[in-house]
Amino acid sequence: MVGVLIRMKLRVLSHSLGGRRGVSYAIGGLVGLVAAVVSAGFVISHPGGPEVGTTIAAALAAAWTLGWLFGPVLTGGGDETLRPENFALLPVPPTRLAFGMLAASLVGVPPVATLIAFAGLVVAALSYGAGAVVVAVLAVLLQLALAVLLSRVVIAALGAVLGSRRGKDLGVLLAAFVGLAYVPARFAIEALAPLIVGQSSPVFTSVLLDLPTGWGADAVGAAARADWAVAIGLLLALAVLDGLLVLAWARLLTRRLTVPQAAGRGRAAKTGTERVRRVLLPVSPVGAVVGKELRVWWRDARRRAMLLTSIVIGIFIPVFSSAGRSGIFMLPFAALWIVFFASLQATNLYGFDGSAVWHTLVMPGAARADVRGRQVAWLLIVAPVALLAALVLPGVTGDTTAYPWVLAIVPAMLGASAGVMLVLSVLAPYPMPAQRGGNPFAAGGRPGCSRALLQLGTTLLQFVCAIPAVALLLIGQFDALPVLNWLAVPVGLACGLLAAWWGGRIAYQRLAERGPELLGAVRAPA
Amino acid sequence: MEDSPALWISGLRKVFGSTVAVDDVGLTVPRGSFFGLVGPNGAGKTTSLSMCVGLLRPDAGSVRIFGADVWADPVRAKELVGVLPDGLALPERLTGRELLTYTGLLRGLAPDTVAERADELLRVLELTEAERTLVIDYSAGMRKKIGLATALLHAPKLLVLDEPFEAVDPVSGATIRTILQRFVHAGGAVVLSSHVMELVEKLCDHVAVITRGRVVASGPVEQVRGDRTLEEAFVHLVGGRTGGGEGLSWLAS
Repeated sequence: MVGVLIRMKLRVLSHSLGGRRGVSYAIGGLVGLVAAVVSAGFVISHPGGPEVGTTIAAALAAAWTLGWLFGPVLTGGGDETLRPENFALLPVPPTRLAFGMLAASLVGVPPVATLIAFAGLVVAALSYGAGAVVVAVLAVLLQLALAVLLSRVVIAALGAVLGSRRGKDLGVLLAAFVGLAYVPARFAIEALAPLIVGQSSPVFTSVLLDLPTGWGADAVGAAARADWAVAIGLLLALAVLDGLLVLAWARLLTRRLTVPQAAGRGRAAKTGTERVRRVLLPVSPVGAVVGKELRVWWRDARRRAMLLTSIVIGIFIPVFSSAGRSGIFMLPFAALWIVFFASLQATNLYGFDGSAVWHTLVMPGAARADVRGRQVAWLLIVAPVALLAALVLPGVTGDTTAYPWVLAIVPAMLGASAGVMLVLSVLAPYPMPAQRGGNPFAAGGRPGCSRALLQLGTTLLQFVCAIPAVALLLIGQFDALPVLNWLAVPVGLACGLLAAWWGGRIAYQRLAERGPELLGAVRAPA
Repeated sequence: MEDSPALWISGLRKVFGSTVAVDDVGLTVPRGSFFGLVGPNGAGKTTSLSMCVGLLRPDAGSVRIFGADVWADPVRAKELVGVLPDGLALPERLTGRELLTYTGLLRGLAPDTVAERADELLRVLELTEAERTLVIDYSAGMRKKIGLATALLHAPKLLVLDEPFEAVDPVSGATIRTILQRFVHAGGAVVLSSHVMELVEKLCDHVAVITRGRVVASGPVEQVRGDRTLEEAFVHLVGGRTGGGEGLSWLAS
């Protein structure tokens, strides 16, 4: 069973790694391997005695295991190369299937990278004699199994909870907020590093070693002191924990295979606001698209999550960067960050639609209405939030000189974003995970490196669009001419309108000409 | 335009990598005809139909809908055709009625007309009960029906339907058949693909058999099938033979 599954996984991997996907997989793998070698290096050579080495190994094991836990949630990954459903009809007991899936999970670049990272412990143990080396080898293997199993069990448990469509919507939000956690995480690392290396906090050190992720390192430390009872006891405890996780995974596999995914009949759509929309939106093709887009921004959890996170990040970043260092106080300018992130997340609008793009393509002359409608809808959502932040935050923070700056740059950026995002959506579309069925965390294609560069480059155009307004502001500032400062506001607005109009024009002409190619690009691979 | 056929395809070709999916396909669908496109799995039916309605760019060949070239004069051609693709998503987070309203307004119909037609279509296709369900929560059969409704909404002259009866329950299937037959009687033309021969034989007056990207027979149903059933003629035409008679001696021994 194990051999068959491993061979199957290798075959599937080798089939799926042709061409560009292979390149991006190779780059990702390379980054992982470098990180692993660096981790191992830290354990092998560091400023401090064996005690410190043990703590560092425990901290790194905890970090890598955390990576295994959050990585799949964050990247929408979760190793689905071999799906348990494919083996549902085999007469195999679930525990054996779980063991087989575990073995197959250990094949691939991420487990190898983790193994290398953990293997620093073995090298470090060389100086303490053969016994310590044996303990270290066993500890590393058990620790790797622990990381992989924890990841599998947590994702499987989440998958079980998030089976229904409403649950999936929750999962998307969860992933979005895990993505946000990097800001506090950076501060955590800055604060914790001295604790680990300097051994200045005995409590923190003992917590690191007492967590299951530290048991392996602790066992090697015990072996170095020739405290064999503790070393073997810790290894046994780790083995038992691994065993329990295999059993838990088997239970979850059984559940996944026998409990049907909830049909996910969502709450009926609200139609109460219908009349309001009918009054406010013009009855025209563009109006129809705006209405559809507004509904979808709200009803599609992925889109809602993106909007929410961009607003949260937009406020977080200035708060953190003002709180962290003695720099410029950026909170009055939070509106700019909100617009920036909200546009960054909306550069694949047709990817959200997936194959539903056909519906626009079969309609005569719908490209223009579609592009304009999407621009208007995005502006209707983001502009009020950004303008509210622009009007309130400078006043609240007492930095009223920021008003002309914010009020001039925000409209320029809003307009430029509305133009740029449509151009990008049409020029560099990529498929998103299918909306129906499957693992809530499974990802479809990922944008490649070239697209990320294109995205970054084009986003900079937003700032180009703000240049005329900024120039006026600077002149006004140096010559102390408040008139010029306030003149920058209509100039920013005009630049924004021009950019939105121009970008939209490029987008709809391209959509009309290359619609079928767009459809081909955003269709999720079957 | 006056007497050009409902759909005219010539020399259509599409190559994916090293696979020739559609190879020199030519067909003429007369006005007022009920045209069935049949072929084994992977024969190129969906690829051909996608190229006919402007969803996939052909490598060569041309397509005309009532004389309007789909790739040179797309606006005119798209006004005349209603499309139901197979296996593609719809705007998933709209209810059935919202989808129809959106489609109608985007096509530039008057709001009153849209409301009236949407009402009728939902009622006839028995989707009224699912009024407030999002399309993403529809069953496979309901998706076919709402897709058909969006294809019919602007009163096209030609319907291009890819597997319209797949996953549709018998009662809804009968409803759809009746609607399509009325459409043809009123002078419209229907092109549908299917691999259910009985259905095509019962419903269509014209049929084309496509296999490995090529049309191997095309014309009125009686002419294509001769004195056999359509299924027998089909198996003969695609060069297959009904297997399953030999080997497998270990089965149920």
